[in-house]
Amino acid sequence: MFEQAISAMASVVVDPYLLGLIFATTILGVIIGVLPGLGATTGAALLLPFTLTMDPVHAIAVLATIYVSATFAGSITAILINTPGTSAAAATTFDGYPLAQKGEAGRALGIAVISSTVGGIFSVLILCFAAPLLARVAYEFRSPEYFALTVFGLSMLASISAGGAVKNLIGGIFGVWLSTIGAERVTGIERFMFGNYELYEGLHFVPIFIGLFAISELLVQSKTVNKIVNTVSMKAVKLPTLEDYKKIWKTILRSCGIGTFIGVLPAEGATVASMIGYSEARRWSKNKKEFGKGSIEGIAGAEAANNAATGGAMVPTMVLGIPGSGTTAIILVGLMVHGLRPGVYLFTEQVEKVYQIFGSMFVANVMFMLMGLYAAKLFARVSLVPTQILWPIVFALSVIGAYAFQGQLLDVWLALIFGVIGFFARRHGFSVAPIAVGLILGEMVETNLQHSLKMFDGAWWMILTQPLALMFLVFAFLGLCGPMIFSWITKQKD
Amino acid sequence: MKNIYLVPLILTIFSLAVIAIALQLDTSPEMIVGDSMQARSFPIFLMILKLILIGILSFQFYKNNPKPIALEKYHTWGSMFLFLLFYLLTVYTDMFIGIFVVIFLMSILWGERRIWVAFLTATITPGLIFLLFDYVLKIRFPRGILMNLYYG
Repeated sequence: MFEQAISAMASVVVDPYLLGLIFATTILGVIIGVLPGLGATTGAALLLPFTLTMDPVHAIAVLATIYVSATFAGSITAILINTPGTSAAAATTFDGYPLAQKGEAGRALGIAVISSTVGGIFSVLILCFAAPLLARVAYEFRSPEYFALTVFGLSMLASISAGGAVKNLIGGIFGVWLSTIGAERVTGIERFMFGNYELYEGLHFVPIFIGLFAISELLVQSKTVNKIVNTVSMKAVKLPTLEDYKKIWKTILRSCGIGTFIGVLPAEGATVASMIGYSEARRWSKNKKEFGKGSIEGIAGAEAANNAATGGAMVPTMVLGIPGSGTTAIILVGLMVHGLRPGVYLFTEQVEKVYQIFGSMFVANVMFMLMGLYAAKLFARVSLVPTQILWPIVFALSVIGAYAFQGQLLDVWLALIFGVIGFFARRHGFSVAPIAVGLILGEMVETNLQHSLKMFDGAWWMILTQPLALMFLVFAFLGLCGPMIFSWITKQKD
Repeated sequence: MKNIYLVPLILTIFSLAVIAIALQLDTSPEMIVGDSMQARSFPIFLMILKLILIGILSFQFYKNNPKPIALEKYHTWGSMFLFLLFYLLTVYTDMFIGIFVVIFLMSILWGERRIWVAFLTATITPGLIFLLFDYVLKIRFPRGILMNLYYG
């Protein structure tokens, strides 16, 4: 197994086509990450239709590369123009931009690049070891455990991305409801189709995701037209000095652990990881006063954590079929579209492909490091592409991408409708990621509940007698009610 | 009623409508469903859960009194109108004509003052996308005025 894994990962380096693909996608990922508003999730949603005709490993490698490189690249604009390219880089602006304003933009970028690379590589290594182990545990799962696990995953939506817990849960339930559209899987009864037989097999993820992430972002960006950005000048990206490394190595290691752990939690992602990574860096720092004024520990804490979350988020995605973030939800769809069923099967029957994907992520981390160090200045210029040119192009890519998935115009209309729904949801403080995750988990939760009820002759409470299922349900309860209970206890103490 | 309660109200109406529609769904014979659920049960359960959450959300609004959300700029409404125009042009003329018109008008709407730049963007983008999808990805596009000329 170990030898097979190593040889599969090494095969990435000797496959010139795959290497070329990762190289090109890393450039694209950095550009996507640099462009404010686009980000890893939108980029992956737009690229998904282009991967349909690719070999499964190449397709997932492309999506995973976009994920890691765009997550890093968000820091470039966060540092240079105080506008995070991705939400995961929001914490980087706190210290990255002030440091750049002091004339040390190169140093800030150098710290961000190195921290991101270490975080990314660390998480890929954890992914390589943890995923097969978790797959072995998942081998024991039956319907009650899967049902409880998906409920746990849905409960974690309470804390995903922006928006309050209640709003996120409402979004998640809406997503789960969307998964009930079409013929019911056991009885074949048509639900919410209104006579439209193109919906018989349910809503397809690709057009919905393009709508929720790309089209809704287009409408959000329309509100920022004519926004003026301040740029800072930069001569070159400097590697951090030995003195800098001495100051930040503990922070990077801590954030690697935090980021990977947060990423592994279902429905948590790089944004949460970077915020916690940043606040922990501040908590443990001897120079707390420097934070917010250009602390290199602050940059390292946020950047190592958000890239460490990328590998972590791939663990539940590939092992359990539960996405760890909006982008991994799209990667999960990519896996399904290419016939790679996430779960134990993937780690027993398709081990080679799995490790080739992991190897691709490893290579992508190294490639974005080189690009970050030698071409960050060039990439930063991309962020100055006028919105009035960029977003109409995104519109064209979105509609063609939605159409290309199945060759149905209905998918284009669905993408536009869900774009508008996503926009109004975001306008009122609802994040769209819970809708996407709910849509993916919806089928799993209903099917496993049905199977569990059959297993226990309709006695639903018997699910609680299964130790692992009970554990996941307790976690779900704690995830939902824990913060409330904790604050109540704190109030009582005060 | 304050504007802030419009969202819970719309969500409530939506949830009740889903429940009403779900109650109209067919039921399966006992021998097929067995000890499991009817097709209608799960969506109804979801909507009840959602109504409870909407209640909590309304209570939060009542307690916190959030600021009303400002109206959108004309760019946003205009972009949505262009989506509608795209639909009409695609259905009645051709998808690529729709894309061309929308890109051109969206560029102008969003503030592009150089007509030739908007025109070039609107021409080159769909052209390159068509070449990529037609030659490389082998996707057949829906028939329309231009596609009929191309496919014959």
